[in-house]
Amino acid sequence: MSVGDDDLPVRIDGVVKRYGQRTVLDRVTCTVQPGITGLVGPNGAGKSTLVRAILGLVRRAAGDVRVFGLDPARRPRLVRQLVGVVPEDECTVPGLAAVEMVRYAARLSGLPGTEALRRAHEVLDWCDAGQERYRPVETLSVGMRQKVAFAAAIVHDPRLVILDEPTNGLDPIERRAMLGRLTTLARDHGKTVFVSTHVLPDVQAICDRVIVLAAGRVRLEGSIDELTRPLEPQMRLEASGPLEACEGLLRSRGIGVTRADAGTLLVATNDTTGLGEVWRAVRESGVVVRGLEPAHRRFEDVFLQAIAQPGEAAHAPS
Amino acid sequence: MPLHDVGYRAWDGRRTGAAAAIAVIATTGIRLVWTNRWLRRAVFFAWSPAIFFAASFFVFEQAVEEGRFTALREGARLGRNIDGIGMLGTVLADTLARNGDGRHVSPEQDVATTRRLVWSRLLLAFMRAPQAVLLAIVVGLVAPTLISRDLRAKAWLVYFTRPVGRTEYILGKVAILGTIVAAITVLPAVVLWLVGVLLSPSITVAAATWDLPLRAVAASVALAVPTVLLALAYSSLTPESRIASFAWFATWAACWIAHSSLTTADLVAAVDGRDVAAATIEEDDGEWRPAPRKRGWVARAAGIDATIDRWAWLSPYHAVGVIQAWIFGVESRPAAVVPPALTLFWITIVSALVLLRRVAAPMRA
Repeated sequence: MSVGDDDLPVRIDGVVKRYGQRTVLDRVTCTVQPGITGLVGPNGAGKSTLVRAILGLVRRAAGDVRVFGLDPARRPRLVRQLVGVVPEDECTVPGLAAVEMVRYAARLSGLPGTEALRRAHEVLDWCDAGQERYRPVETLSVGMRQKVAFAAAIVHDPRLVILDEPTNGLDPIERRAMLGRLTTLARDHGKTVFVSTHVLPDVQAICDRVIVLAAGRVRLEGSIDELTRPLEPQMRLEASGPLEACEGLLRSRGIGVTRADAGTLLVATNDTTGLGEVWRAVRESGVVVRGLEPAHRRFEDVFLQAIAQPGEAAHAPS
Repeated sequence: MPLHDVGYRAWDGRRTGAAAAIAVIATTGIRLVWTNRWLRRAVFFAWSPAIFFAASFFVFEQAVEEGRFTALREGARLGRNIDGIGMLGTVLADTLARNGDGRHVSPEQDVATTRRLVWSRLLLAFMRAPQAVLLAIVVGLVAPTLISRDLRAKAWLVYFTRPVGRTEYILGKVAILGTIVAAITVLPAVVLWLVGVLLSPSITVAAATWDLPLRAVAASVALAVPTVLLALAYSSLTPESRIASFAWFATWAACWIAHSSLTTADLVAAVDGRDVAAATIEEDDGEWRPAPRKRGWVARAAGIDATIDRWAWLSPYHAVGVIQAWIFGVESRPAAVVPPALTLFWITIVSALVLLRRVAAPMRA
């Protein structure tokens, strides 16, 4: 199978990885689709091992991994030409300046010398690290080193960019800029971006899909919207006034309602009839409505719930 | 936004192959190690002994040209040293005295065979005595950092998340050291041969000794392969480069001391008459005589000591020396060559296996 025969960037099927007696990945099955996918999980969940499995750096005990249709264990060179990686660990070659480091990465990825240097300058400028390009990498700040590592990962124009904690060490402005670059890569340049991170707001801000990994197993997989959707249809009613009365009226009409906070009710309906009843109850109780929208669970709650219980993978309905 | 900021652009050019990756690792590595001031000094210093050796070529060729060859040899056979060129005079005198054993050959043929031996021995002495020792020092300065620093800085991720395999990585590192080895051993040896040719009154010397530069290259490879792999294997075993340095120098020193001790013990035994046969040499006149004394370092390096160095296999330096002597045609006895060859073979194999395993170790962690 040649590159491009399979448009799915990453397909992971029943992957098992053990270090000695310890099972780090336990029948992991998931896919990374075009766009931005987040990989979240607590420490020791197996995120880094999963990334290494995608790169063909670790030997699997079982299962199959395909990157654009290619098995990274059999064709690691080709797969790594298609992939750019920002590792979690700071990895630099001491003694090289930033632009030399990026050029070195480009040349190792197969770019000819002149092209490698040209692109190294271009990408450093794009990453807003151009002003520090001639300083030795080991003397740069953590944030600047992160930008150089990102530049080194994308200098060879990979189709898939894998980032492990990409916003580590970045100040809020730089963090926003980095997330913006990832979005640009995915939306404007058609790259698939796979982000492994602990920072849930980052995931919510940029990711189209999320994979939650805990104890070596995929606990949740789906889009943010799908994952945060309540288990049963709910509307979020934000209002002021006599909410207790409104709550009572809704219950008396057979509509489930719970109080989220002092000014918010979660109403268990989203069909036309139910919404009509909600409006009637609002009018009769005299509350002032400030907002009515489909309810979502907080992603943090979804995440914590997913990792709290051992169990089989739950895939959000697509 | 800077004027030259053109944003992020796609690239779909033709990619280079694995050989290019090796070259990139090697050239970048050489550039980085060359920033070491001590390395630059050592490499510069490595060329200086060539001047003294070039003088020996000149003395010999001048004697041949001026018709003093026979007189020079007769003097040497009577035990007279050749003054003015120090220890190299001993090498020259011994070669002259040993060669020309009374067989009936034409004077031209006599000169040709003696010239070959003289040139081979001088080149061998050059590669063994100053160059090999300098090489051990220089490799000790450079090699320990090559992999251990990558382990420490986690730079292995720079390589193995890209289309670079273990083999390319190791070959790239070997190429760094190989270049330095070439700069210290083979290049000066070839230049020395060239200078010798240029200093010779007759240009026909070049035709008579054309194969010596090739032998110098082969001798350099014999020196480089096991030593470079051993040094890199040490480097791959620890993220602390100073530990690797210590292991490297300790290996050379300990093996050298062990070899010297055992050789001296043999010599003492021979002089005491307990084991005369082991330390005697058969001279051209057929008489057996005890080995007169322990030879000097350069003299022994040039192959003057005709006894079989039975402890050479214990020490990488001496083992390499025997193999180099074999390459230059100075030593050909299987009993002398095979044990050191086996030692170097096993050092090479074990070091390569350690390297292959250790280079991938961080990924298994």
